[in-house]
Amino acid sequence: MHVAGKISREDILTELFNIGVGQAASTLSDIIDKQIGLTIPSVRILNAEKGKIELNKYLKQVAEGAVMVSSISFDSQLEGKVSLLFPADKMHHFIDLCLHETHDETEYSLDFTDIDFDTIKEIGNIVINSIIGELSNTVNIPVEYTLPEVDVLNNASADHFVDTEDYRLVLMMFLAFDIEGTEIAGAIVINMTLNSLDDILNKIDRLYNGR
Amino acid sequence: MTKVLIVDDSKFSQKITYSFLNQYLEDIEFVFAGDGEEGLHKFNEAKPDYMIVDLLMPKLRGQDLIEKVKQIDREAKVIVLSADVQNRVREVVEKMGVLSFINKPLDEKKAREIANIIGNGARGR
Repeated sequence: MHVAGKISREDILTELFNIGVGQAASTLSDIIDKQIGLTIPSVRILNAEKGKIELNKYLKQVAEGAVMVSSISFDSQLEGKVSLLFPADKMHHFIDLCLHETHDETEYSLDFTDIDFDTIKEIGNIVINSIIGELSNTVNIPVEYTLPEVDVLNNASADHFVDTEDYRLVLMMFLAFDIEGTEIAGAIVINMTLNSLDDILNKIDRLYNGR
Repeated sequence: MTKVLIVDDSKFSQKITYSFLNQYLEDIEFVFAGDGEEGLHKFNEAKPDYMIVDLLMPKLRGQDLIEKVKQIDREAKVIVLSADVQNRVREVVEKMGVLSFINKPLDEKKAREIANIIGNGARGR
């Protein structure tokens, strides 16, 4: 419930992530040299079990279980792992756009070359840096990244992305990019320790709500 | 001829950096390395005039590579090209004596900035 004059911490967090996602979209637009339409996502903070249920819905409805995943872990004061999920069947077209290449027929196979993986790994790196880096700058909490990883998963389930052992909370954003009529419905899943989210929310309180 | 060493673990980024700079610079030889360790090896071997260095790389991070290179040659000319947008990372790296810290992705404006640094340096030699 909103208190007059006070904005909820989730609203502020959503806004901060939206700034990062907006920058990520602008960055992607620079790379592919085309305009990208972006549906502004809402951020949901869920416990790991609820997060899994929501994510499984996405995997069933949008990606039919086959996703390309680009992920980076981060530690230092904030600890967690960010995964970008894209429906694998759209990725050949997206990679072609990134490499400024065209193929006569759109390929729907789940076979990807080393160049495809390298491209998505680097794009994921840039996008995740935009989102987490901007948040880190705003709340003034540094993060250190591990090397990005990329994988294609058939029949993926939420268990791949949500670790109930080490991380207790899941921040999820579902977002849709529209590139020249091709809609790519992706998801961003951030697994975070309870302490890390507390640190962020406390900083937000101090910065925006004067607590 | 000016020699530029591009150190980046992403072939995709190597290609973009090479393509942009090749448009704006003449008389340039490019050398490539796919991680920090290889970057250090190529620095010693090829003796480049300029290095363009990514930060998040396997084997040796960009920050550690820059430190080692600066120990070998305090005047080594290093330009950082990284996706890391954190202000603190920029502050730390800029104190290491790099010529410029530029955020990925490279675009025409940023490429011209790098080309100007390299072009002006080459003309001054």
